[in-house]
Amino acid sequence: MGKLWAVIRREYLERVRSKWFLIGTFLGPVFMLVITVLPVWLATRTKATAGLTNIQVLDATQSPIGARVVAKLGALPIEGGGGTTPKLMVVSAAELGNAEVVATKAVMAKEIKGYLVLSGVAPADVKVRYAGRNASTVNDMQLLRDAVRTSVLAMRLEGAGLDPARISELTSVRVPMEEEVLDDRGRGGGGSGKGSLIVGYLVSFLLYMMIALYGQNILRGVMEEKSTRVAEVVVASVRPDVLLAGKVIGAGAVGITQQLIWIMSGVLIFTQRAALTKAFGIADLPFSLPTIGAGFLAVTLLYYIFGFLFYASLFAAVGAMVSNQEDAQQASMPVTVILILSVIFMQPLLLAPNGNMARIMTLVPSASPVLMPLRMSMVDVPAWEIALSLVLLAGACAVSVYLSARVYRVGLLMYGKKPSVAELIRWIRYAG
Amino acid sequence: MGGLAVEIRGISKRYDQHVAVRELSLEVPTGTVYGLLGPNGAGKTSTIRMILNVILPDTGAITILGRPNTDQSILDRVGYLPEERGLYKKMKVRDVLRFLAELKGIGAKDANKRIDEWLERLSLKTAERDWGNAKVDELSRGMQQKAQFIGTLLHDPDLVILDEPFSGLDPINAQALKDTVVDLKRRGKTVIFSTHLMDNAERLCDSVCIIARGEKVLDGTVAGVKAEHAGRYVAVACDNANEPAVQAVMRDGTLVRNVDDQNTFFELEMVPGADPQRLLTRLVEAHATVRRFELVQPSLHRIFLEKVGATGVEPGMTGHG
Repeated sequence: MGKLWAVIRREYLERVRSKWFLIGTFLGPVFMLVITVLPVWLATRTKATAGLTNIQVLDATQSPIGARVVAKLGALPIEGGGGTTPKLMVVSAAELGNAEVVATKAVMAKEIKGYLVLSGVAPADVKVRYAGRNASTVNDMQLLRDAVRTSVLAMRLEGAGLDPARISELTSVRVPMEEEVLDDRGRGGGGSGKGSLIVGYLVSFLLYMMIALYGQNILRGVMEEKSTRVAEVVVASVRPDVLLAGKVIGAGAVGITQQLIWIMSGVLIFTQRAALTKAFGIADLPFSLPTIGAGFLAVTLLYYIFGFLFYASLFAAVGAMVSNQEDAQQASMPVTVILILSVIFMQPLLLAPNGNMARIMTLVPSASPVLMPLRMSMVDVPAWEIALSLVLLAGACAVSVYLSARVYRVGLLMYGKKPSVAELIRWIRYAG
Repeated sequence: MGGLAVEIRGISKRYDQHVAVRELSLEVPTGTVYGLLGPNGAGKTSTIRMILNVILPDTGAITILGRPNTDQSILDRVGYLPEERGLYKKMKVRDVLRFLAELKGIGAKDANKRIDEWLERLSLKTAERDWGNAKVDELSRGMQQKAQFIGTLLHDPDLVILDEPFSGLDPINAQALKDTVVDLKRRGKTVIFSTHLMDNAERLCDSVCIIARGEKVLDGTVAGVKAEHAGRYVAVACDNANEPAVQAVMRDGTLVRNVDDQNTFFELEMVPGADPQRLLTRLVEAHATVRRFELVQPSLHRIFLEKVGATGVEPGMTGHG
C-alpha cells in the first residue's frame, strides 16, 4: 500500500509541477471567461455605424412611412458617436427611376453611402430595396430592416385604431424566454433546460478531454519509463500491476484536480456573471445556474471513473508495447478510434436522444461514459438502462484492466519492434 | 553468517523461439561476492530477472535469504542495478532517489538523510554545488551512473544484484564500484554480479558460476575452480619460439590441446593425461631457449574459454533475457 502510494504521489506531483499543467489549468478558466462574456458583449455591440445615417430615403409610397424610417434611423445609437439624420425624399412612382439615377450618382460621388427605396402600397404591401456602398455590412442592414419593419408595424397598428403614443412603447418590447425542462417529477427538477443540456455537454466534453489528454499522457509516461529503462528498477521493487494502478490513479487524480479547478472557476464565473458583465459595461442575459440532482452527479461520477480506467489502462498497455513515438502512434490508433467514435455519436444522440441509436450507443462500454451523461441531461433515461450500461462498463473495465496488466508486465521489459497481434496474445498468456 | 543468500533450484525459462535458461540450479552463500559469468545471451539477465521476480520461471523455485522470492517483502532487502541504466530524466536527483527508497519501504525522512550521506560520499554534493537539486538530465553520464548506484544501495540491502555493472563505467567510477563491492562484503552483505569481463570477476569474486546457452557449465569458489583446472596449464617463455622445430613441439596434438600464443610468451593447455615433463624434454631437444617453464593455475579467462569456447555464444540473443 505504501508503495502504491509512492507511485501515485510521484505520478501526481511530477505532472502537477509540469509547465503544461499550469498553463492548461489556468488558461482553461480564461477561455471559459472569454466564451461566457464574449457572446454577451458581442450581442450588445450591435450599434449602427455612422454610415447608416448618411443615406437617402426615397419614399414613393405616398405615406408617412419614409418619415418614420428616417426618424427611427436618426434615433439609433451610433458607434463612436456622430452620425446625422438620413435625408428623406418623397417622390412619385413615376419620378422614382430618375431619383434613383441621381442618388446612384450621389453615392458614386461619395456624397451619401447609399439609398433606401420604399415603393408599393403602405402599409399593406411595401416594397423595400437598398443600394449602397455599405450593403454588405451585416449589422447595419439588420438595423435598417428592423427600422422598416417596426415602422410598417406601427402604421398597421395605427390603421387598426391604436393610440400612436402607445405604439412605440408596445413595439419595442423584448421577450426573454426562459426554457424549463419538465420530467416525471414535475417542475423544478432540472432548472433551465439550456442549463442542464450545457451540464450534459460539459460532462461529456470534460470526460472526453480527460481521457484524450491524460490517456495519451499515461502512454507517453509508460513509454518513457520503458525507453529510459527506469521501469526495470521500479518493477524490481513493486509488482507491475501496482505500478500500473499507481500510474492510472495518479494521472487520473491530476485530471480530476485540473477539472475541479475548471469547474469551480466556471461556477464562480457563472455566479458572478452579473458583476462580470457589468464590469465589462454590458447588460446580462437572463440565464440561471442549473441545479444538478445528486443522482445525476453520482451516476456521472461512476461513468467518469470507469470510463477513465477503461481507456487509461488501454493506453498504458499500448505504452508498454512500443519503444518509440512512431510505433506509439500506430499502436494507439485503435484506442483513439473507439474514443473518437463515441464523440461522433454525440450528434445523432442530440437529435434523437431516445432513438435506437442513442439507446444502443449508451450501452456500449467504450461510448457510454461520454454519451450517457449527455443523454441523461436531455431525457429521462430509464433506471434499468443506466444500471445495465454501468454493469457493462464495469465488466469491460475489468477485462481491459486485466488484459492491460498482462501486456504491461511483459511489454515493459521487451525492447525492439512492436509486437504483432499473435505475439500480443502470447504475451497475455504468459505465466503470471 | 552462514546460510544461503540465494538458492535457485531447477529454474527454466522459455521464450517463443528459444530457451533462455535451462534447469539452472545454484547457491550463493551469504556474505560472499558471487560472479555470474557467461557470454552475451547466455541467460544471465534472465536469471537475474527471475531472482528479482520480475519475470517468472516456467519451472523451478528461488529463495532469497531463506524466503521464497514471490514474497514481496523479501525483495525490499535486495538492491538491483540493471544492465541498461536509466532514471526519470525530468525529475530532481533527490526526488528520484527518494522515490526509489520509498519503493523499498524507506520513509521519506529517513531517505532524505541517507541521500545526503550518499551524495556526499560520491561527491555529488560538494561545497560548491549540490547536484541532488539538479534534474537528472543536467547530470553528466558519469554522475548519472553514480546517482543510479546510490538508488541501488540507498535502502542498505542485504543482497545486491548488479547486472553488468562495469559496462560503460569510466575508470574512476569502475574503481569506486570495486571499492563499494569490497566494502559491502566487509559489512556482511552479499553481492551478485554478472559480467563477461573475467579480469574483474577473478579479482572480486569469492565464487563464480559460468553459464552458457542457459545452462550451468561450472560453479564453485574461484580458488576451487582454478585448483580443479591446475596442473594442466603451462606457462612458457621462449626467445626463439618462431623456430619451426619449437613451433612443432608447441603444436603437437598428442601433448598440447590449446595454445595461447603471445609471441614470446605462451600459455599451453595440456592434453588430459599428458606429462608436462615430457613437454619440457621435447622443447629442450628442439633447442628452444627456455627462459621460463612453470606449471600455472589457469586464469578464469582461460577456463572460461575452455569451457564455453566459441560455441557457447548463440548470436542474436542478447538483451532479451
